[in-house]
Amino acid sequence: MIKNNKNASSNLGALFNKKDTIIAAIVIAAIAYLWFETTKFEKVPALFSNNIPPEMFPQILLLIILGMILIIPFEHLFLKKDSESIDSGREKPVQKTTIGTMIILSIIVASSQLLGATLAIIAISISLPLYWGERRLKVLIPYIIGFPLFVVLLFNIVLGVHFEPGLLKFILN
Amino acid sequence: MEDVVKGLGLLLEFENIILILAGVLIGVLVGALPGLSSPMAIALLIPFTISLDPVAAISMMAALYCAGTFGGSITAILINAPGAPPSVATALDGYPMAKNGEPGRALGLATVSSVIGGVFSLIIFIFAAPLLASLALEFGPAEYFALAVFALSMLASMSGKSSIRNLISGLVGVLIGTIGIHLTTGVERFTFNVPEFEEGIHFVPVLIGLFAVSELFKQSEKLNNVVDRIHAKALKLPTWAELKKLKYTILRSSGIGTFIGILPAEGSTVAAIIGYNEARRWSNNKEQFGKGAPEGIVGPEAANNAAAGGAMVPTLALGIPGSGSTALILAALIMHGFRPGPYLISETPEFVYAIFGAMLIANIGFLFIGLVGAKFFSLVSFIPKKLLWPAVFIFSMIGSYSFASSMFDVWVMLIAGLLGYFMDRNGFSAAPLVMGLILGKLVEESFSQSMIIHDNNFFALLESPVVLLFFTLTFLSLSSPFWVKLFLKK
Repeated sequence: MIKNNKNASSNLGALFNKKDTIIAAIVIAAIAYLWFETTKFEKVPALFSNNIPPEMFPQILLLIILGMILIIPFEHLFLKKDSESIDSGREKPVQKTTIGTMIILSIIVASSQLLGATLAIIAISISLPLYWGERRLKVLIPYIIGFPLFVVLLFNIVLGVHFEPGLLKFILN
Repeated sequence: MEDVVKGLGLLLEFENIILILAGVLIGVLVGALPGLSSPMAIALLIPFTISLDPVAAISMMAALYCAGTFGGSITAILINAPGAPPSVATALDGYPMAKNGEPGRALGLATVSSVIGGVFSLIIFIFAAPLLASLALEFGPAEYFALAVFALSMLASMSGKSSIRNLISGLVGVLIGTIGIHLTTGVERFTFNVPEFEEGIHFVPVLIGLFAVSELFKQSEKLNNVVDRIHAKALKLPTWAELKKLKYTILRSSGIGTFIGILPAEGSTVAAIIGYNEARRWSNNKEQFGKGAPEGIVGPEAANNAAAGGAMVPTLALGIPGSGSTALILAALIMHGFRPGPYLISETPEFVYAIFGAMLIANIGFLFIGLVGAKFFSLVSFIPKKLLWPAVFIFSMIGSYSFASSMFDVWVMLIAGLLGYFMDRNGFSAAPLVMGLILGKLVEESFSQSMIIHDNNFFALLESPVVLLFFTLTFLSLSSPFWVKLFLKK
């Protein structure tokens, strides 16, 4: 009996791709939420909307996406044996370096209003190479000084892109 | 003829020539740098070209697009690391030939076949685009809707892990396009009480996020990869006798590449793979393939460059992008106030001929670069990733911000980058999403207009033979895996 149950669960496991099932579940939840949002769109008289209410097109799209996403957990069953595996590239979890990069960049973007553009550029030039393990000072120092200087000269002075001064304003004052 | 002269005359301004050459240089550079790609470079360039004259801006991007496709072959041959996806097939025989002690010959074959493929497709472009546009002038909303649906269905066969994921990406792009105020009724859709969403999502930060920032996250996984380099002292042009021997392969691949480029959504990568397979199929030296066969270099190279010119045909004549890069050029055209499609050619033909001229200059430009600069461009791939990618992020941030001087757009870029990274990890490509985003407005507008015209009777649309044709093509395109399976079984 136990053996039969085990077989049944492994058969079920072979039928569904675990990662794709999770993705499908997330997308279905997003579709449900967006569908609910479409029901809250302002109602327009048929005369003004020419019988095509504003929610009609997004709802059609959501339905088609829903239909397709339901296939995703089983898609591995239909793929040719010689084609690239659906799991290639995601066998391992996201690397710590990548997660760290995402966090660093999010922090810099979040604080760039306060820092100002120039300091944000300097922060990226210092933090990412250091975080990624660049330790050669003869490479790092010219880069940290030269690259932000080049960017500010090119974009702010030559091309006239407005750079928020941020903290630099107080420091210079 | 007058329009051709006028168009080419527009290019002769000093500033335009400089910008086209800059586009070629940037294109070869990003093509040669693994990870950087021409769609990414075009996305980064868009915000900075908004203030330029449209001829200069679009010509620069078109030149970058042509040169980027070629640039990838340099690193594919010398370090077996294709700088861009269309050069993957070139590496199969280019690298073995370089390893056998003939890197200059491999580069020479790639350069000359790229130029022939590129020029061939431009000749087709100059005749086919006005012809297609004159046909499209007869199209009403229903025909445009059917054409856009066909273009979306073609996303299924774009390169990537799976057809269905490409289609989902494309539809998500269309859905993102619905954010903002609905044009017909003035109703806010998916704005979630965020005022910045009312105008809809700007193309530029999304494009930069999907192409540049997501690639940065991908590259952060392989920062310490070491590559073997082969030194090329100089590029060696093929002899006349060698070219004569390869002429059928080059011409066949040029034809294949142009045709595939013209098909909506099919780009240089698909063209290069088919070009390589066909070169092998028709070759008398099949056993040489994979060991440095010259046909294995000229086949994919002629095809991928021909696809670049071919892809411009539907982009300019119909407003339907022929590839990921042309989708970005289309976005740039819209931002410059043009309405891509048949009216672009009928109302401003000189503009289209100027783009043609820019692409021609680009092809000649990269022949020159190939001759004198291949050695230098093979070295750029050794710029440390740990310094290159922070620079890419800085350019991405400035590009997204400068478009509307809005920090909100920088957030959109970062979120699009995160989305692009996780999508790619799970087999969903970014290019179909971008194409969906750009085609979205056309799909919805033409759908609404045709439903109004036909009293909300969808089946009345099928009375038009053009609509019927496009829907049949859509059906065939979506069911192609089934037909191919059936055909192979027989």
